[in-house]
Formats: sequence, structure tokens, C-alpha cells
Amino acid sequence: MSVDVSGVDRETLVRPIQTFSKRYLAALAVGLGLIGVWLAFYLQQLQHGLIVTNLSDWGSGGGVPWGLYIGAFIWWVGIAHGGIILSAAVRLLGMDTYQPVARLAELLTIAALTCAGLFILIHVGRPDRLVTSVVPAWPTRVQWSPLMWDVTVITAYFVLTATYLALTIRYDIHRLRDRLPNLLDPLYDVLMIGYSEKEDEVVERMVWWIAFAIIIMAPLLLHGGVIPWLFALLPSMAGWAGGVQGPSFLSIALTSAVSGIIIVAAAFRTAYGWEELIPDAVFRGLSQWLGFFSLIFLWLQLQQVITGIFAAPTTLQHATEVKIATPLYWVAIGLVALAMLYAFAASLRPELFSIRTMVALSVGVLAGTLAEKVLFVVEGLQHAHFALYDGVPGAYVPSPTELSALLGTIGIVVLFFLVVSKVIPVVELHAIEDDHEEVSP
Amino acid sequence: MTLASTALAAASLAFAAAPVPLASSPEYTLPFVGPGTYLIFGIVLAPVYAMVAAWFIGDPSDRDSGLLGVGYLAGLTTVLWGGLFVATLVIGAVFF
Repeated sequence: MSVDVSGVDRETLVRPIQTFSKRYLAALAVGLGLIGVWLAFYLQQLQHGLIVTNLSDWGSGGGVPWGLYIGAFIWWVGIAHGGIILSAAVRLLGMDTYQPVARLAELLTIAALTCAGLFILIHVGRPDRLVTSVVPAWPTRVQWSPLMWDVTVITAYFVLTATYLALTIRYDIHRLRDRLPNLLDPLYDVLMIGYSEKEDEVVERMVWWIAFAIIIMAPLLLHGGVIPWLFALLPSMAGWAGGVQGPSFLSIALTSAVSGIIIVAAAFRTAYGWEELIPDAVFRGLSQWLGFFSLIFLWLQLQQVITGIFAAPTTLQHATEVKIATPLYWVAIGLVALAMLYAFAASLRPELFSIRTMVALSVGVLAGTLAEKVLFVVEGLQHAHFALYDGVPGAYVPSPTELSALLGTIGIVVLFFLVVSKVIPVVELHAIEDDHEEVSP
Repeated sequence: MTLASTALAAASLAFAAAPVPLASSPEYTLPFVGPGTYLIFGIVLAPVYAMVAAWFIGDPSDRDSGLLGVGYLAGLTTVLWGGLFVATLVIGAVFF
């Protein structure tokens, strides 16, 4: 399947930059409103401490000092990793069908990484702890500290993705400068330092190498490596152990990211009348990938459940029994399964496919993967070896402060896309004009 | 101060000055870096080393563009952690 959008003109590409609508203002108000709600709660947290979340010390909620903050961190970082994997795959493997959404995926990565980092920042309590606690101890203790794995991954990926974007954007800005707002000229001047058309071929190759590094690092070493090691290297929690966490985390990241890209791409398509620029075929392809990744996700859940309940070590068996007795777990599995079934059904009977349904199912998948990750964190802590925390009173329920942070980060992503879409083209010029020299690997 | 209490104080000082080995722990100092650091810089970042090397020795490549890329990598890392460091100083100055 290939998509040809080469007939789309440059005016269409820069439409988000050149138009301003009431709908844009409404979205801006929603984004800022969500951030405002979170800030109001966060100020309370800064004033009174993490006690307002019940996540202090060993937790007053049944021994759970992590909870939604860390569950949402993994969720956002998964969306980020999956987003950049898609973008890198487009460049590296020549998946031209998805070129119209490649930059949206890169931008989603940067926005989601920001949110992931924010969850770490707010979860350490005093924000300065990131520097005062992490930096001095990093060299000797990174392997023992989930916090240090976190900041390592976020730093590595943020820097790589932003470099990727900064290099690719030069080609577009140079050719579209006359259609970009004059007000932002100083910014464009900085982004274009030292640019000449002679660099295009070399930079194209450099970006190919970034995609190469990303395609190895993201699935194998970061979201299939360092992020699951946050948990799997802690010996006390039976539900977190095992090498299966690597592929399992990766499957959740890819499933969530494709869902996120479907939602963002559909939003831009609807808002700017981009039926030509992001045609149906892109969404059909994405939905097939979503179906495939959902299948892998469900398969790895099956692996964990079967090996956890059949003659497993006692503590693992207990943790798995708790997991499968939790109704929310089955809601999460059901939401992912539903998207998978729809994607496969729409492949068999193309007339069943609709972008609106796919967007709704993608929202469901994101809710499902978030629920699964929060349960993974919470139940993993509650059912540790030797019933470590059985004496801690209470039960974990996400506090309004934590829930507000989730809303706030969604608001940040909305705001990020609204602002960035006014500054740079969110679809690469390459998608509509294949006039550059292809660099063969 | 009685003679007894003076003697006790002197003995305490003597004990404090002498190294008192903990019966259960061998001498232990932190290594130069931990195994996680080798893992990060030795394995996890290996694709980045390959990428940067290819920027300079791959074909096509160009020194200025390679330096621009390295500048972005170094600059963004500095901005990220430098920003946090400045924020830490500000928090320290304003609140503590």
C-alpha cells in the first residue's frame, strides 16, 4: 500500500500557520484550563508536601508510595518511544505511506517525554531534588535507582528526538520561509544558523543515522530495556520480575503510541480539512499496525498470566492471582482487544472502517494501557515478597492531586501541538514534494 | 570535674580516635562507578556512538554538519540539566 500526496500544494501544508479559528481558541482554552486545574493542585502539593497525595513514605494507602504518578510516567514515556519508533521506521525502512504523520509522531514524542519528565519532577516532591539527589549519586548508583534510570532515559531520548527535529526542520523552513510568520524571524534565524542547500544531502544522511540509532535504542534498550529495568531489577516485587517485562513494556508503548498518533492525526485532519494530505489510507495502515501491536500486547499478557498461575513460585502466583481478580485489569484488556478485533475486521471488510470509530477505540486503548500500567505499579508494590507491606493501613486510591496531574499533562500536549503548529509545518515538506535527492542506505 | 570523669572522657576520646572496625562489615568503599554506569555508557549508548562516528566518517559526511549535530546533542543536554541546575539554585535562594 502506498499513498501519494504529492499533488498537495504548499498552501495546504502551512494552513495551520496561516489560519486562526474559534475552534483553535476553544482548544487553547481547554488546554490551558486543564493545566490550570493541575497547577492549582500542584501548588497545594508544593506547599504541604507529597502527603496530599497519600504517597508519602511507604504510603498511607496500603504500602503504595508510587501509584498514578509512576503509572502515568511509564504511559507517557511509552507513547514517546512508540512515536519516535514510527518516525524512524518511516525514514529507515522507506515506509512512505506514513510520511504525512511522521513529524506529528516526532512532536508527540517530544510532548510526551516532557510529560513523562514532569511526572518524575512532581513525584520527587521538592523539584530541586532532581539535581541535589540524582546528579551526585548517579555514577555509582544508577543500577539501584529507578529514579536515575528515569532521568537517564528521558535525557537520552529528548536530546536525540530534538536533534532529529532540529536537523530536519531546516530543509522545510528554508523552502517555506515566505509563508512563515515574520514575527518569528529571530527564532527561524537561530534554527537556520549556517544553513546552505549544500548541506541537505549530508543532513539527510545524518538524520538517517539518528533514525538508525533510535530504531535500535528505543525498542531494544530503552522501552524494552531501561524502563522495564526500573521495575525488574528490584528484587522485592514478584509481579515486576522477569525478562518478559522488556517485550511487554515495548508492546504497550507501541500500542499506546499508534493510538496517540491516530488521535493527533485525526484532529489535524479534521481541524484543517487535510483529507488530501492525510488520506484514509494512512489511518487504515495505522489501524492495522494498532491491531498487530494489540495482538502482541495481549499475547505477552497471556504469557505472564499463564506462567504466573500455573505452579509458579508462591509470591508470583499470589501477585498474578490478585491481578486477574481485579476487574479493572479485564477492562484494560477488553479495551485493547476491542481495538484489535475492529482493526482486523476492518482489514477483512474495508467498508467497516471509519476514522471516527478508530479514534474512539484509540482513546479506549490509551485508557486501557494507562489502567494496566497503574495496576502494574500499584499491585506490584502491594504484593511484594514476604508480604512486606501487609501491615500498612489503607488502600490505594488515586488522589485528586494525582488525577489533576494526569489532566494537566494532557493539557500540556494539547497546548504543545497548538503552539508548535503555528511555528513550524507539522507535516514534512518531503511528504508532498519528493524533490530532494534520496539518500540510499 | 572528678578524676574518674576526666579519665572516662579521655578514654572516650581515645576510642573515638582509634579506628573501630565494625565486626560484621569488611572495609568497603564505593567503586569509581557502578555497573549501571558501564551498562549505560557501554551498551545502551552504543548506537549513539555509531551515529556520531557515521556523521563524521560516513559517506556523504561533512565536518560542519557533523559539528552542528554534536552541538545540538551537547547543547540540548546542557540546556536540560543546566536549566534544572539554575532552577535548583533559585529554589535554594528563594525558599531556603
